[in-house]
Formats: sequence, C-alpha cells, structure tokens
Amino acid sequence: MMLEGKNALVTGARGGIGRAIVARFLKEGAKVYAADLSPEGSLHTPQDDGSRFLKLDVTSEPDAVAAMKQIGDEDGKLDILVNAAGIEIEKTIEETSLEEWNRSFAVNVTGTFLTSKYALPLLRQAAQSGSSASLINFGSYDGFIADPGLAAYCATKGAVHALTRAMACDHGPEGIRVNAICPGYIDTPMLQSFFNGDGSGGDGGNIETLQQAVRDVHPMRTYGTPADIANLVNWLASDEARYASGQLWVLDGGLSAQVQQMRL
Amino acid sequence: MRLAGKKALVTGGRQGIGKGIVDAFLEEGAHVTACGRGEKPAGYPADWLTLDVADPDAVAAAATSLSALDILVNNAGVQVEKTVVDSTDADWDHVMNTNARGVFNTCRAFIPLMRDGGSVINIGSISGNVADPSMALYNASKAFVHGLTRSIAVDHGPKIRCNAICPGWIETGMLDAGFDLAGDPAGAKTDALQRHPVRRFGQPRDIAAMAVWLASNEAGFATGQLFTLDGGMTAASPLNPGLF
Repeated sequence: MMLEGKNALVTGARGGIGRAIVARFLKEGAKVYAADLSPEGSLHTPQDDGSRFLKLDVTSEPDAVAAMKQIGDEDGKLDILVNAAGIEIEKTIEETSLEEWNRSFAVNVTGTFLTSKYALPLLRQAAQSGSSASLINFGSYDGFIADPGLAAYCATKGAVHALTRAMACDHGPEGIRVNAICPGYIDTPMLQSFFNGDGSGGDGGNIETLQQAVRDVHPMRTYGTPADIANLVNWLASDEARYASGQLWVLDGGLSAQVQQMRL
Repeated sequence: MRLAGKKALVTGGRQGIGKGIVDAFLEEGAHVTACGRGEKPAGYPADWLTLDVADPDAVAAAATSLSALDILVNNAGVQVEKTVVDSTDADWDHVMNTNARGVFNTCRAFIPLMRDGGSVINIGSISGNVADPSMALYNASKAFVHGLTRSIAVDHGPKIRCNAICPGWIETGMLDAGFDLAGDPAGAKTDALQRHPVRRFGQPRDIAAMAVWLASNEAGFATGQLFTLDGGMTAASPLNPGLF
C-alpha cells in the first residue's frame, strides 16, 4: 500500500488510462475522486469501484472551483492530482477547423491549467502536512516527435511538457512535485479511434494487420496497456518519488529510442 | 567570403562530408588544411596532413606544425555494424579510438592553438540521440561526441565556441552501397525516402552549409548545441510510412 492516507483527484478518470489509474490508486490505499464529464466516460460503461465520482468539465472554471471546494470541505487537502483528461483530433492543420483547434487546447492545455490552478491551495496544504504533494500531467511522445495527421494534438502535448517544467519550477519550493507522463501507443479508446480512422492501413490490409505493423515497430513488439501507465503514475504519486520533479517520463516500449526502421 | 582570413583544419577530409566541408570553406575564403590517414589525394584543393586522429602522439606532433587556428572540424569517423554482443575488442578499439578518442586527441592538441572567436565543429549524428539498429558502438561513440561538445563549450568559452552537427542520411557512396545489399534495393530506397519529409537524402554540401555558418562570425552566439540536419526524419515517429 504505497498511497495510504493520501487522497487523489484524477481527471479523465472514466477513460481508458484514467480508469487504470483510479483502480491502482484505490488498491494502494488512496481515497480517490474520479472526475469526468459523465460516470460512463469514453468507455461508455459505468464503474462502481469505490472511487467518488465528480462531474467535472476540465474546460470550465466554475467546475474546477466547485470540485476543489468539495474536496476542501471533505478532506482539507489534496495529495495527488492527475490531469489525465485529453482529446485527440486526427487531422493536419489544414484540415483542422479553428473550433477543433480551440477545443484541443481547451481540454488538453487549459484543462490542465485550470484544474492545477485551483488545486494548488489544497496541494500546498498536503505538502505542509509532511510528505510532498504530487501533480502529474499527461504529455505524450507526440510532444517530442510527430505522428502524421495529429497536428493539434502534438502541439497541445508540447505545451503540456513546457507547462510541466514551469509548474515544477514555480511550485517546487512549496513542496509540490510536478511531472508529466508521455505515453506512446497505449491500448485505449483513443488508440482504437486512431486505428479506425483509416481502418484499412496504408497497404490496404485490415485493422489487425495495421495493429500488428504498429506493434512490430516497437522494440518491445507490443503497445502498452493502461496498467503500464498506472504503474508509473503510482510511483510518481508515492513518496518513493519524493526527489522526482520537473521531468517528462516517456513510456512507449522503446518506440522513440530508435531512429526510423528502414526496410533494408 | 564569410571565412576570409580564417585558418581551418578539417579531419577526415578525403571524401564525403569532410570533402564537402573543405570545398565550402575554400569557397568562403578560408585557408584550409585537411587531414586523413593516407597520402594527399591527387589534385586535392587544400593543404594536406597525413594523420590518423586515433594516434595521440601523431596528433600532438601535427599541432607543432600549425601555428594559429580559427576553425577545427572533427569529421573523421568510422562505423561497425554490430550489436553490443557481437562486437569484439578490436571493434571497440577501431570505433572508439577514431570517433571518440580521435575527437579528444584533436581537441586537446589544437584548442590551445585557437585564436579568440574560434569555432570547433564536431560531426555527431542523429544516431547519438536515437538508436540505429546494430550500430551499438557507433551510436555510443556519437553520444560521446555530443557530450564532449557541451563540455568544450562550457570550459573554453568565451574564447572559442563548440557545436556539433548531427547528420541524418547523407549521400556519400556508403548510402547506395547499403541499398545494394537490400533484398529489394529500389523498394528500400523508396521506403527510406518516404521517411524524409523533404523526400530526398542529404548531400555533403547540406552539412557543409551549416558548418560554414557555425564557423562564421554570424554564429557568434551559438555554442554548446547539437544541430540536427536530417531532412526532418527524426521529427517524425518511427512508424512505417503510409500506415495511417
């Protein structure tokens, strides 16, 4: 039980990665507020796992204020904040409408900003009670190198990376650690949507052929699971990571460690 | 003539990227000395020093034959295409003595000769940042070059600047030899081109153009950096082109 006595807020908590984080936090003894647009979230199924559901649109300032008031009233502090809410528009910049661009930044960047901004007083309270508070953002390996047709997504994740370092710099002296996890290909509804967006693969094959081709590019020959991400989130949330701050933690099965895999 | 009055030394100057840099420096008015392991090639356009950069005594002796220096380009390099497990002690000596120790040898010997405003340009590689398969010692040797580049910039500023250029796939003759070994040479070349946003491979003159800029006074605020020139290849994820 690595998180006993801690409470945590996870946004995007009913999505693929969010649910795995919530489940792991509960298993490690934390009290968990699971925030999402609806109890079903992007997986479209409810989940009664012992977490406390919080209806939260991360793009809404009043929602952020209300969520922190509720947590403040109940617990008076917040030890762990995970900004996992995110969306992905699968287009080049020419195809992306201004509305889609703004929506991407509203959820992925402004959402991280608003939730973090209003959580800071509660995170500070937690830090003052002894152990360090941990804030974990979701970047992406796409914030370092680009996948085709994901322009706005790549840009928002680059912004999250820079924001992570800025927040670590500003709030480290208050005992608040700030890190970002940068996943590669993780088996989630978002990834399935990405695969289904074309569906045939560039060679005219089927989706399984496409998925296998993607797995084969990875040094680990597979893509990750939400539980793989939850393993690192849990460590960063725990006191074992008390010296870890300001870093971008890439978890991608080695995908981005290699140069292009030419067919020679 | 952006390099008029400057004295340059280019290692590995016989062919490929090194020769491209020598030609560009001469066009810009520099006085160029090139070096390599063999005799001066016939009709070579610059001064020539027969020198193996892996030999510290020979490098130290060469330093006594030069007076002042403004530009040092560490381009000499070799590669062995093996994994760590397959690499022999001889492979280690071959790769590391030239790519790593060679840069150390020349920097130690020639930096003291450099005048104020001098520029050291090391040829690193994209392979020092991300791994090429079965190139273990080469990849590691280029990462050494990247680390040494920053150290020289920190230790020897403000007198001299030090940067590295990290080339991607450059057409040097080695490239076509590689494609010839592929099962389907034409297909391999098409695939490789698709992974380059500029849809071509680099030319030695592409690298030379950056070397000229880094050597010139225009780059007076550039130091300690790694400049990648790869036609955009490493900006993209290593997924197969056309998958999505």
